[in-house]
Amino acid sequence: MVNPVLLLAVPLGLAFLTPLLAFISDRIARYVPVAGMLFNCVVSVSLIPSVLNRPIIVQTGGFAPPFGINLVAGPLGITLAAVIALVGLAVSVYGLAYVKEGATVKYHVLYLLLLTGATGVVLTGDIFNLFVFYEILCISSYALVAYSGDKNGVEAAVKYLIQGSIGSGLALIGIAILYGVFGTLNMADIARNIGSTGILNTTLFIALAFMVAGFGVEAAVFPLNAWLPDAHSSAPAPISAILSGIAIKVGIYVVVRIVFTVFGAPSMFMLLVVIGVVTLLIGEMSAFSQNNIKRMLAYSSVGQVGLIVFALGMATTGGISGGLFQIISHALAKSLLFLATGYMIYRSGSMEISSLQGMGKRMPLTCCAFTIGAFSLVGLPPFAGFPGKFMIVRAAIAQQQHLFTFLIALVLFGTIIEACYFFRIVQAAYFTGPREEPDAGKQRREEAPLFALAPMLGLLVFIIALGVYPEPVIRLLDSCAAELLNRFDYIKGVLG
Amino acid sequence: MSFLFENSYYIAAVGLILIGLYIMAAKKNLIKVIIGLSFFETGINVLLIAAGYIRGGSAPIFSHPDMQAGKMVDPTPQALVLTAIVIGVAVLALALSLAVRLYEHHGTLNLRKIRELKW
Repeated sequence: MVNPVLLLAVPLGLAFLTPLLAFISDRIARYVPVAGMLFNCVVSVSLIPSVLNRPIIVQTGGFAPPFGINLVAGPLGITLAAVIALVGLAVSVYGLAYVKEGATVKYHVLYLLLLTGATGVVLTGDIFNLFVFYEILCISSYALVAYSGDKNGVEAAVKYLIQGSIGSGLALIGIAILYGVFGTLNMADIARNIGSTGILNTTLFIALAFMVAGFGVEAAVFPLNAWLPDAHSSAPAPISAILSGIAIKVGIYVVVRIVFTVFGAPSMFMLLVVIGVVTLLIGEMSAFSQNNIKRMLAYSSVGQVGLIVFALGMATTGGISGGLFQIISHALAKSLLFLATGYMIYRSGSMEISSLQGMGKRMPLTCCAFTIGAFSLVGLPPFAGFPGKFMIVRAAIAQQQHLFTFLIALVLFGTIIEACYFFRIVQAAYFTGPREEPDAGKQRREEAPLFALAPMLGLLVFIIALGVYPEPVIRLLDSCAAELLNRFDYIKGVLG
Repeated sequence: MSFLFENSYYIAAVGLILIGLYIMAAKKNLIKVIIGLSFFETGINVLLIAAGYIRGGSAPIFSHPDMQAGKMVDPTPQALVLTAIVIGVAVLALALSLAVRLYEHHGTLNLRKIRELKW
């Protein structure tokens, strides 16, 4: 059995090795993220069977928990680490062809650090360590949003940096309060001290509020999502893909882990449900009114975050595994969409939706990938979005409350809006010709390069495979849901 | 009066946090906003230190045979603050370098005038 700490040590080590390798040859440095993510992918998938039996607790420095920093590789952590590594691998292969200008070595270093931070957040069992990995993730994403150094990128990065830093500052205040009350930083130990009453005293409630608000900035739930459309639309295509696919999911994970495992606060579930629906509706309606395709995709991410938070807030096995399934399918589909859009924008030279007319003939494969990604996000049957949404709807109806029936109707209304704006683009790409084409009969083919098509194809295979045969993943996610719902098993697993 | 004395560290920490938030909300100049961010982070660091501080306590080292563990300052928050300071330095350095880039593009640091992306 491999030690899960390698999931963090290898990418972190490779990140700092990259500048040295670049002295020898830039060519080698480009392949470092691919190698690191391939390693993570293999290791995390190979760990899944053993963590399903019992979570692997890694002690660092020989201190048994609750002392020292420990890693908790439970089903949820390893599943998310596998998703991060998979999407990270696809996007790093895409980056081989896309990232050519500017400080490419620094790009690869920051990219690996971002993924290390994301993996660290989902695997750690120590709340301050979680904060440190979260900051590694955030700081490298601030820098990567501004990577191209153009006007919009820098402005979006400044905005993201200010809001993100306030968010992580608030989260740190929450951690300080928790440490002041309990004198421990181990999440399982804090959870044991809080107990199972479900009623929090004022001090603990303030700590919970600070942490949910602070980490909620990265999760981009409704009142805290002002930075997202700018940052995701101004970043280079691979970075948009990784931010939408991975970074916001990590934010959701932190919020959920804190609410479910650390505090065990049922009073927050209804808040999550309501925030989720509001976020969904606002995100989808804003996306509908956009003319810029990347902004539209960014707002669509806001909507999907709302759907995920709604599903997780139901706090039933069906709801949580539906939400987690949606996390996976959205990570695959949205990164596919951003990757496909990257070259469509590159070829057409504009981010306006109207400039994509006739793209179906110019770039048939890329457009096909975009279409399937869009269909999956909307939730059409043979693709990965369908089982996720179906599970969420089924879980909401199984609650047997009028309120949830009403809310799921609003969610489905949001999905219809989503379908409207995605089909508008598909229609523009396939069924309207380019406005001024001097030799339309020749059909100029300008496909994306091979290194960009290969990861899109890989993501496509996963989307279709998950849509056709979701059983094994659903079984895996059911045990992830059990990990979130039974906090005593988590506490017992860590503290013994 | 004794309440103020006993909680003076917490009052200072919350004061610094609020001053920082006020600066970030009210000031137009990006450099001043970054200074506000620095205030905010310093306030949080003071809060963390205050959580483990004992008035008149000593360093947690048994350098003298009749020292008692109860009168020692908790070292963990100080280690946390050390980490938080390093993170804060990284954030501030990045923010200032982005401010330089923003000035090159727009010729101003006034956030009210930089409105390309619907602030």
